[in-house]
Amino acid sequence: MAEDEKNKNPEIVGFACSYCTFKASEMAGSLRMKYPEGVKLIQVPCSSRVDPAFVIKAIVEGADGVFVAGCHPGDCHFIKGNYYTRRKIAALKEMFNIFSMKEKLRLFWVSAAEARRFVEKVTDMYNDIKEKKNEG
Amino acid sequence: MRTGIFICHCGHNIKHTVDVKRLCEYFSTFPGVVVSKDYPFVCSEPGQDMIQESIKKQGLDRVIIASCTPSLHSELFKDLLKKSDINPFLLRRVSIREHCSWVGDDIEINTEKARRLILAGLYSAAHYIPLEEKVVEVQKSALVIGGGVSGLSAALFLSRMGMQVYLIEKEDELGGHVRTLKNVWPAGRDGKIIIEEMIKDLKGQNNVEIFTSTTITDFEGFFGNYEATLNTPAGEKKLTAGGVIIAIGFSPFDARTKPELHYGEDERIITTLDFEKNGDRLKLPEKPRVAILHCVGSRDEQIGKPYCSRICCVNALRVADAIKTRYRDAYVESFYMDVRAHPRGGEEFFEDTQEKGVLFTRANVAEIIPAPGGITIRGEDTLFGEVFEREFDLVVLSIGMSPPEDSKLIASLLKITLDKDKFFLEAHIKLRPFDTAVKGIFIAGSCSGPKDVEESINHGRASAVKLFGFLNLGYAYVDPFISYVDPKRCSGCRMCEQACVAKAIKYDEIKRVVHVEEAACMGCGLCNATCPSSAIGLKGYMDSMIDDEISAFLEAI
Ligand SMILES: Cc1cc2nc3c(=O)[nH]c(=O)nc-3n(C[C@H](O)[C@H](O)[C@H](O)COP(=O)(O)OP(=O)(O)OC[C@H]3O[C@@H](n4cnc5c(N)ncnc54)[C@H](O)[C@@H]3O)c2cc1C
Ligand code: SF4
Ligand code: SF4
Ligand code: SF4
Repeated sequence: MAEDEKNKNPEIVGFACSYCTFKASEMAGSLRMKYPEGVKLIQVPCSSRVDPAFVIKAIVEGADGVFVAGCHPGDCHFIKGNYYTRRKIAALKEMFNIFSMKEKLRLFWVSAAEARRFVEKVTDMYNDIKEKKNEG
Repeated sequence: MRTGIFICHCGHNIKHTVDVKRLCEYFSTFPGVVVSKDYPFVCSEPGQDMIQESIKKQGLDRVIIASCTPSLHSELFKDLLKKSDINPFLLRRVSIREHCSWVGDDIEINTEKARRLILAGLYSAAHYIPLEEKVVEVQKSALVIGGGVSGLSAALFLSRMGMQVYLIEKEDELGGHVRTLKNVWPAGRDGKIIIEEMIKDLKGQNNVEIFTSTTITDFEGFFGNYEATLNTPAGEKKLTAGGVIIAIGFSPFDARTKPELHYGEDERIITTLDFEKNGDRLKLPEKPRVAILHCVGSRDEQIGKPYCSRICCVNALRVADAIKTRYRDAYVESFYMDVRAHPRGGEEFFEDTQEKGVLFTRANVAEIIPAPGGITIRGEDTLFGEVFEREFDLVVLSIGMSPPEDSKLIASLLKITLDKDKFFLEAHIKLRPFDTAVKGIFIAGSCSGPKDVEESINHGRASAVKLFGFLNLGYAYVDPFISYVDPKRCSGCRMCEQACVAKAIKYDEIKRVVHVEEAACMGCGLCNATCPSSAIGLKGYMDSMIDDEISAFLEAI
């Protein structure tokens, strides 16, 4: 890929819970739904496995955005894991805010059945970041 | 380290949009990668043989398979490693189909994405360690949700094979839609009789518990030991079952969704289901003029139902035949897009009906206009390209099969997936048409897409056979992805203990460190992400693995 194009196209690292968002992404693939190639997923058993350090590491290493995605509140396979995720990511967001990079971190809930929602969420994030990136 | 990388073409599915050859060459130059091969179908028998041979010949201690998504075929590949005498947890699956070749169309872009996905797998797998599989007991019991023909046939098979069966039905009696059909095609029998026979057989078994007017309100657990909470007329009930068959059927298409049909506003506009129930009692003139509309609620993109319902052409023919039999001089006109007389004998029936004088007009019906003297149908004859208007005494809408009312509810309770039409999605349309992606949960009958009675019964039985195979083993392996504590690093702060929902972390007052109770650990990894001293690791998802996956995606290694 040409260097300038690479710079324009955001790289997004997503952490996806095995029981819901990862499943939704599998279904999105099976249904041949399209979304930008810059979105790449790391499968985790539960969104609560995501250590804020992973998010920071990804940003430091050049990711334009990071998302953490899990089951809807109340729906966690591990009972309450996603409540912890919500708290952790909220704290992390405040930190991101201080460094004026609020838009680089997103948290969303996508159930196993919501392939379309998965595609919409990641595509929205990608487009927003791309817009910002090309402005600045 | 001796790593083997196997990249699947999946026929054209991957190869079409990912340059697999180029990837193979690229990875073959990596230190530690001793095999880098592509193959048309790695899951096929020759594909498996090829991998097994490579493992043996090259003495591989890491196997990376880049193919379909990890929920598919992982058991098969793990067995392959076991058969080759290496630990099954030294396998890494990389999804380059569901997450790459099917997501984008550009081969250059996809190849680059696949390269990074495989790279992440390669780096992550370098941290893998052999793990021991955990064995759990499997309850020899099954929960069947839905008591239509598909659920009944599944329940009957399982109970005959000696499994304890819990059959739950939402309505106050078993039988589903077939109970309402007076003349089931092609058997020509009363649906009620078919159902009563099945119920009699089932009630003759001493290992079946039937719950009617019952719904499922909560669902937890894992294969071998699922726990369901039921809402029964006698109150809440909890039960444990080894596996589940979902057979909640379909909903008849609600013709009110299309206001131009004026269904429900005029008693001369009815559906095939109404005809089934009250056809004998219809008051029609001596020489009735009857219109029949095919594909109502099917093959219609505008209302989000692009699929063919498979049974409605024959239903339309049955109505036409019934009218013609009763009123020899009736004028019967059928408006169709194509006639797809799917089930056995359907085509012959179509010919017979034509011979009886039923008129078939290929048309797009635009509107039905009820007036006191008759009901006018306005549309376009698509063979002649002409607009027409004709008057009838009765209009019968051949309605299709819509997804079951509760499909979303059951999907979210059992954490399984729906397809784009909101029917339940099978794990693989050809190879695993009865399975869901969740182990031990199967689908049966029309809840996985339109099916006739014969197909539904067969589907139910086939799902039951598959579930029986799983249950009868009596045990199952579960992933040993649980946490462990490094006592040297643990400071005894007990933050993990507070976080763990499963109460799997125990503090040792004397040693002042914690340890994980293996049997209780659910493997969520919350403790791993919580520990400030990096003293806890979740096997299979260690910090080092995830760290390297991040770096590989971003080319920061
Ligand atoms: C008008 C019409 C005519 C037809 N004629 C024919 C014909 O002549 N020949 C033929 O082969 N096929 C015919 N069919 C198709 C036939 O009805 C289906 O093939 C058959 O009913 C499918 O059986 P099933 O068990 O999958 O689903 P269903 O019959 O729909 O049974 C599903 C059962 O699950 C129950 N259920 C639903 N949700 C829940 C829940 N949440 N919890 C517990 N239980 C639940 C329902 O109450 C129902 O009892 C016809 C269909 C229609 C609409
Ligand atoms: S079976 Fe016939 S009427 Fe039903 S959707 Fe298919 S083509 Fe249309
Ligand atoms: S959080 Fe870490 S350091 Fe604290 S008790 Fe648990 S394992 Fe030990
Ligand atoms: S992985 Fe989850 S269940 Fe297991 S000990 Fe850690 S927090 Fe508890």
